[in-house]
Amino acid sequence: MKFVRLFLLEFFRLLQSPFTWLTALATALSPLAGLLFYQPAQAGTMATQFLANPALAGGVCGGIFFALLTLEELDRASRSRVEVLADAAVPPRHLALLRLLALIAAAALCFGVTAALWFPASRRLIGSVFDTGDYVLAYGLFMGLALPLSILAASSAYQFTRRTDLSLALVAAFSGLSLTVWAGDWQLCWLNPSVWALSDDFSNLRIFRSVAYIRLTWLGALEGVWVISWLFVRQWGKGPLASFLCGIRRPLGPLLALCLLAGSVSAWAAQPLVDHSNPDLTVMTFDALSMLEGVTCSRRSAQVFPDTHAGTVSGKAVYQLQNRSGSPQTAALAVNPGYSISSVLANGTPVPFSPGDYEEYNEAMAEVTLPADPQIELEVEYGGFPQESRSMSTMQGRLEISGQYLCLENSALIPRLLNVSPEGEERYPTSVEIILPSHMTVIPFCASEAAVTAVHSDGTSTWSYEYTGSGGILYAGDYLREDIFAGGLSIQFYYGRKHQAVMEAAGAAEAIQAVVDYCTEHYGPLSFGADGSLKLIQSRVSGGGYATNGASLLDEADFTAANLNDQNKGTAPGEVMIHELVHQWWGLANMFAPGDPKDPWSAEGLTCYTTYRIAKELYGEDYAAEHYVNPWKQAVEDYHRNFYVRNPQYLSILPEEERLQITNRLAELRQYCEMPLKIRKAETLVGGEAAMDGILRGLFQRELDWAYPYLTYEEFLDACGLEKEELDFETNCEI
Amino acid sequence: MEFHIQDVTMTYPNGKQALGGLSLRLGSPSLTGLLGPNGAGKSTLIRLLSAALMPSSGVIQLDGAPLKDREMELKSRLGYLPQEFGLFDELTVWQFLDYMAALKGIRDSRAAIRQVLQDVRLEEQAKARIRTLSGGQRQRVGIAQALLGDPELLILDEPTVGLDPEERIHFRNLFSRTAQNRLVLLSTHIIEDVQSVCDHLIVLHRGTILFSGAPERLIQAAAGHVGVFWEQDAPENGEISVTARVHTACGVRCRGVAGVLPSYARPEEPTLEDAYLYLISREVAR
Repeated sequence: MKFVRLFLLEFFRLLQSPFTWLTALATALSPLAGLLFYQPAQAGTMATQFLANPALAGGVCGGIFFALLTLEELDRASRSRVEVLADAAVPPRHLALLRLLALIAAAALCFGVTAALWFPASRRLIGSVFDTGDYVLAYGLFMGLALPLSILAASSAYQFTRRTDLSLALVAAFSGLSLTVWAGDWQLCWLNPSVWALSDDFSNLRIFRSVAYIRLTWLGALEGVWVISWLFVRQWGKGPLASFLCGIRRPLGPLLALCLLAGSVSAWAAQPLVDHSNPDLTVMTFDALSMLEGVTCSRRSAQVFPDTHAGTVSGKAVYQLQNRSGSPQTAALAVNPGYSISSVLANGTPVPFSPGDYEEYNEAMAEVTLPADPQIELEVEYGGFPQESRSMSTMQGRLEISGQYLCLENSALIPRLLNVSPEGEERYPTSVEIILPSHMTVIPFCASEAAVTAVHSDGTSTWSYEYTGSGGILYAGDYLREDIFAGGLSIQFYYGRKHQAVMEAAGAAEAIQAVVDYCTEHYGPLSFGADGSLKLIQSRVSGGGYATNGASLLDEADFTAANLNDQNKGTAPGEVMIHELVHQWWGLANMFAPGDPKDPWSAEGLTCYTTYRIAKELYGEDYAAEHYVNPWKQAVEDYHRNFYVRNPQYLSILPEEERLQITNRLAELRQYCEMPLKIRKAETLVGGEAAMDGILRGLFQRELDWAYPYLTYEEFLDACGLEKEELDFETNCEI
Repeated sequence: MEFHIQDVTMTYPNGKQALGGLSLRLGSPSLTGLLGPNGAGKSTLIRLLSAALMPSSGVIQLDGAPLKDREMELKSRLGYLPQEFGLFDELTVWQFLDYMAALKGIRDSRAAIRQVLQDVRLEEQAKARIRTLSGGQRQRVGIAQALLGDPELLILDEPTVGLDPEERIHFRNLFSRTAQNRLVLLSTHIIEDVQSVCDHLIVLHRGTILFSGAPERLIQAAAGHVGVFWEQDAPENGEISVTARVHTACGVRCRGVAGVLPSYARPEEPTLEDAYLYLISREVAR
């Protein structure tokens, strides 16, 4: 009771300090930094830009502000000599604990007010895809937990040193490490967690889990350090060491510190989220395994049971194997490193198996002893929390498993046979059964369709589908589907239910129709449209799209309300939608080298040009001239008039950040405006639109060099029979 | 409440010995004055008794048990005013006293605060921010926090510094009243403060006790060693230590102490100040 009263009074006293209010005000404003200049999360989704970045900035800035407040408060008590009076009433360690709790309570209050203040702003900025749950978790984890961590760090530094200047230097170094050297290591950046994207349309539980895990790991570590520093609190006029020696006479403090530190180190070492794959991505040991002589696989099947609450998967895979060798063999299976194999049966009899320690490309290898039987039904039970690849540890979130979204790739879906060849010409015919909540739609990333085979009373459904391949990717989520017939293709367009308003406002179905009709007619069909069918799947934010036979993935970041209003890409949201879909032809089916981002030749040039041509066909020449050609010309003129373009020597003396900002803006202008104008100029030089369409059709359908499958500017010029200089404008300068 | 100090020494980490082999018994009720020149070890002794320091050697017992084991109990019974202290400037007088009352675990803090504000005559400043107070008022806040909760042990280190003469008399009487049923330890340079109120006196010098007992005993010890004389009658480098000089129409009249009074000095009745100075001068001469 006395402790509670003391705590309340210390807390109340803290609230009387003007420095506390200054800190609270600065912290409340700090999410603004995430909107203006501190933007560590790079993805283009609304939640990334208007939720993740402000919350991260709030955590970093608020953490630093509260560390300063902590040092000021701890030093003030000793500087103002109130400590002498207080220590006479209560032992100094009691007071140290009280002050820490009061500071944390003040931080919690400040955080609560900040989160409440920013709620309406975030809601307005994010628009129809705003999610209150994501807001609470993002602010709580990215910002809220940063404050006690900083307070613990600053308080520990002060208790060790009893000097503000030294503590300030220690806290600055510790924070600086997190923001710079450690920023590339998701486990070390204690102040600024590794968050690269938040999804608008689907859940973000995986990245929230990751940040929560790291926050709690650091919380344990810093609490342990704090308890040790607490033992150094000076008492009875003794120095740090003598006070510590007195402090450890009672075992509770040291034991608590040891437990916290041991728990934290264990959590750090045994983190379940990211694998330990070989960081050398040139090593491909698993692919180099020799195939077993006389052993083949004619079929495999899997029953997969994701737990959408826990984010885990359990499953049973059955392989039909033929062993013609007449002797026992050792088959190798690749599983996600987060999974463990619980049992292996061959023809109903348990057989030995051994999980391996070595991991490569997000897979771990398990070896299974096959009997000498000629026909073997191998049954493998597996499960666990799928881990993401170490090489992508700062971009976690891909293997999301929740009631809103699910992505299981290759060995995270079903263990992959590494050294057993398929029987016959078909590559591993596979059937998959998966049980998911009934509101989720299962979308195999291949030509085949999944169908509901059973509806269960617990609100789940069983979906099943078949495909061939050694791996396999499966998406599922709260999807809406629109069927569109265009360009001779039957298109199933899947997008997140939360995105319905945005998609409808942008006329997504009409845009797909227009693009597929136009591009198929002018350039040719997409190579990945299998048997006249194509799934266009809006995926959770993934950093880009990719395609396979019968399916193509569209990154949700391309369809955000902000992107659909990007004037560089189109006049209206519907035209930006067209622009993004044209990337299926220019960008995905025909790739461009991911080289210098300042290179004006990129997928954007041909995409903007094609969008202009579609707009011209849909809305007429005047519309296209007014909304595309004229703005491009104006932008190019402005570009050539730009001070830094004319005087690049002044650009070079600007600070790097400012220079990059200017060059990026100008490079974007060249990609989105100058290059389509050059293509239009080429169109005139080659004899008009029909001639250009013929050239582009030829380029689109050219035979690819798989070693370098990118369409280059030189190839384009050669196809046009033009020299680079012929497409230059009169006042040509480059930056 | 009883302190039993046995052979206590205190040596600071820089090697300076502040107390050497000190033995003492202090019990309530008593108002004990602690006198001694600068560096005598008064503040060190006070810090030891308030558990702000632990002795380098020796034992301090509180009611028969080592003080270290009774730290919490001591702090719950202690009112302490150090020589130098600070206050939270952003709080009001009432808020600060409420804060201190909470630290001391006082249940009825409102009544206790009202009482001490009355005792130190700060009722009108109860709602004033501490930063707006004068030096004397701040000192009174310090005394008030020490008096909070009517502590069984009151340790006051130079409590009347910065107070005007009228306030000093008021506080002297207050401490005297307080000591009627508890132990009050009053450390001061101002002998006047202890002369009229202390029933027990401890004189420290260079970390050892020169005197411990009733003030009358100290005065008696100085009888026959205090005299007055005209300055012009005394030779240069005379054997008498001058303790006071008064300019009069007939010349400078001096008061002094000496082991053996010279013939030109007329014996006088010693005061406590004379006795204290005689004790110290004898120790210095040694």
